Amino acid sequence: MAGWDVEQVLAMAPDAASAKAAQGLARPQRWSEIGSSERALWGLCQGSGKKPYQTVVDRSGPAFRCSCPSRKFPCKHALALMLLAAVGQVPERAEAEWASSWLEDRASRAEKSAEKAERKPGEVADPLAAQQRVTRRADRVSAGMAELQSWLDDQVRRGLGGFEQRGYGELSRLAARMVDAQAPGVAGAVRRAAAVVGRGHGWPGELLEELSLIHLIVSAHARLGEIPPRLADTVQSRIGWTVETARVLAEGEKVEDDWLVLGRVIEPDDHLTVRRLWLRGSSTGRLALILNFAAGGRQLDPLPARPGELVPAVLSYYPGALPMRALLTQTAHRLPAPRPGGLNAKQALASYVESLAADPWNERWPLVLADVRPARNGDQWAFVDSAGDALEVLPGVDLWQLLAVSAGDPITVAGEWNRAGFKPMTCWHGDRPVVLS
Amino acid sequence: MRGWDGLVSSALLGTERRPARFDDLPPAIQEQLGDGNLLDAAALATLYKRAGRTPLEGLTPLPSTHGEDQPLPRPAAIRRLAAMLTGFQTTALGEWLRAADAKGWGVPPEHLPALADYARGRAEYRPLVVKAAGRRASWLADLNPDWRFLHEAVVEGNDHWTHGNSTQRRSWLRARRQADPAAALEALREVWPTEPAPARLDFLGLLTENLSAADEEFLEQALDDRSKEVRRAAAGLLARSPGSQYGERMAQRVRSHLIVSQGVIAVDLPTEVTPAMERDGIDPQPQDGIGKRAWWFRQLVAAAPLSTFELDDLQLDVEGCSPEVLQVAWSQAAVREGSAEWARALLLANARTGGRVAELLRILPPDEWVPAVELLRTRVDIADLVGGLPVPWPPGLATSILDQLAKAGTARTAARLASIAARAVPAEVLDHPITREPTGEEDTWRRRLVETLNFRRELYEELS
Repeated sequence: MAGWDVEQVLAMAPDAASAKAAQGLARPQRWSEIGSSERALWGLCQGSGKKPYQTVVDRSGPAFRCSCPSRKFPCKHALALMLLAAVGQVPERAEAEWASSWLEDRASRAEKSAEKAERKPGEVADPLAAQQRVTRRADRVSAGMAELQSWLDDQVRRGLGGFEQRGYGELSRLAARMVDAQAPGVAGAVRRAAAVVGRGHGWPGELLEELSLIHLIVSAHARLGEIPPRLADTVQSRIGWTVETARVLAEGEKVEDDWLVLGRVIEPDDHLTVRRLWLRGSSTGRLALILNFAAGGRQLDPLPARPGELVPAVLSYYPGALPMRALLTQTAHRLPAPRPGGLNAKQALASYVESLAADPWNERWPLVLADVRPARNGDQWAFVDSAGDALEVLPGVDLWQLLAVSAGDPITVAGEWNRAGFKPMTCWHGDRPVVLS
Repeated sequence: MRGWDGLVSSALLGTERRPARFDDLPPAIQEQLGDGNLLDAAALATLYKRAGRTPLEGLTPLPSTHGEDQPLPRPAAIRRLAAMLTGFQTTALGEWLRAADAKGWGVPPEHLPALADYARGRAEYRPLVVKAAGRRASWLADLNPDWRFLHEAVVEGNDHWTHGNSTQRRSWLRARRQADPAAALEALREVWPTEPAPARLDFLGLLTENLSAADEEFLEQALDDRSKEVRRAAAGLLARSPGSQYGERMAQRVRSHLIVSQGVIAVDLPTEVTPAMERDGIDPQPQDGIGKRAWWFRQLVAAAPLSTFELDDLQLDVEGCSPEVLQVAWSQAAVREGSAEWARALLLANARTGGRVAELLRILPPDEWVPAVELLRTRVDIADLVGGLPVPWPPGLATSILDQLAKAGTARTAARLASIAARAVPAEVLDHPITREPTGEEDTWRRRLVETLNFRRELYEELS
């Protein structure tokens, strides 16, 4: 059985701060359900949130897994656990269920990657190198965020006035540096801000909105340890950290239901096609987003069900303050469903506002509007509810199919809402779902 | 929102020059802000604004359309329609629409926009789409100017004739002509002098329906029209009018140029085109490959009533011009008059038809098509022959053609006939044994034929 002494453990720390924090946590009273087996160490450590962090150290490797939001690898919790083991304070016992399920999952993945390695000689999995990569990335992201913050402060101090001439190029370069800093989410936000510059009379106000929300990410990143862990997860994902699928499946919040497929949006691109599939639990009412990607020219995975059908499934939610993105494990065949219930315009906006309260960066929100009638809104379209309140349709959306279905009668429509308007995905012709293309 | 513009102008000018002021911001934001800076305040204000969004007010919904919808066919049939609209076996669209209509099925409304776009450039599909759109036709036509033709559904009342767009007027006149030919002519007479030439030509074309002696006077006047196209069209219509003065004039001209005696037709070709002849639509400019005088004569014969001649004249020797001149002219006249007698005689005599074999075949009663095709197949490309027949073919002809294709092996020469047959075979012959014979990858035309026949068979099954 592999054992480490204190020196070896401290040498694994990604930085001095982690080593110091780990030493602080290496006290048995901070831990519960602590144990060790031939292959692993595990324990629960109380952090700032309600739920204690689950930490597992796989002795082979070693490899680490911890439910804390830190992106340092290994995190202070894993280091602390190894320090405790080094001084003989971790009792041997039967593996906790949550620990073994991760170990098994990891073992089967290792098998798969070993198979892959056989197919591709020369590419050998190296967990240590992977951890170093993660550490390096955390450092680069931190440096990138610091650069971004000082850039933002400079702009505000000197003024956005000249932006119309220099703004686009400068923001594009900044976005590229954020990609270099391995913060692709922020890079995307910067690119969105660049797109606003010079567009319409109100662009300075819109640019300020975009920049202020980027500023909000950067400041939240600087306080990751202080903000609620789920919000910290949201911030991390906005920056561009992805959570491994296996981790979501193993630890993500699980909700079992018959999920109504509200609709889907496919955004084709030269490099990457994105498909958003929006679900609503028929008994829980929970909303969910299933994201699928296909690299240039490849086919997307088949849909688990068509819009307007039910798919009995367990969802595993990604962590975050507004748990929406999820992975789906289908449990039974899809079923036909009647026309779903929906909201009026005021209720719909209220639900979007609630989502903003949880996740201020939320851009898209699934809505089901019931009994709305199409109306002209200048050059565009809108949906009017029975009280006369209306929501605008996203400019440029081809509404002809929906108009033909409605023929002026009130209908139920599911779509994606963002600030610019509502993009219909599915509407109902009586009880028959009609997928809008 | 109060205070937001102040934040924007501070950000534009820079806080060095214009420090941000937060005291105009709503109190809720100021409380949250504490000692935050401009960007903190902007973030709070941004979310404050987004969260405070209210619905639009005062919009008027579109009016709803009245009436009942037809029930929809099975989902499999709807999926097939959707596939055709995305470009798969699209040529069977009309068949789907007709079969669905015959069975009383409606069209899922979400497919109407694509159908309307498809029919926009294909006039023959328009009535089908108008029918399929039902109560939604006018409603959609009002919304989208590209789909104005959907108004064709509504032809009641005189408003469409006096105030409608060109499509509506056309529909009105066509419907009127079917119901009351004389009244349609009268309506046309009233507006005739003020219509532009393209409209005159267009409306004149609609008189083909229910043409009678009552139209003669009007058409005679049209022979003096300002527009050459209108004059030609009027002459064409007069030539179709049985017993017209026009026909009599042509017959007299023809008789003055030919004498039948002792088993010989002696032709004396005309030497000039008189103004009267030109008024009656004779074109003085010869076509390629024919002498000027022969060309004039051919036009006279082609425009004269067939009753000017005897069927037996076909067997006679011709002097004074090539027999072909007469044969081609008779073929043209036979097609114009739709005379099965003449068509049969011309085909049996192996006459030169000027490329009208298929048109002549078409005039024969359908039960004569199979033997006629058998007779003609050695002289004419069979695909040319049957390609002009109306579809669907009678079952006998369809079966006979498919039987021949089944025997054709992989011969590439059969490809064109196969592609015509694939569309023309009627519903009851779609199950022909050829569809159950194996086809290889290399049998391109055979595989396509079988695929299309199967596609159409399934189409009918799903709509049954």
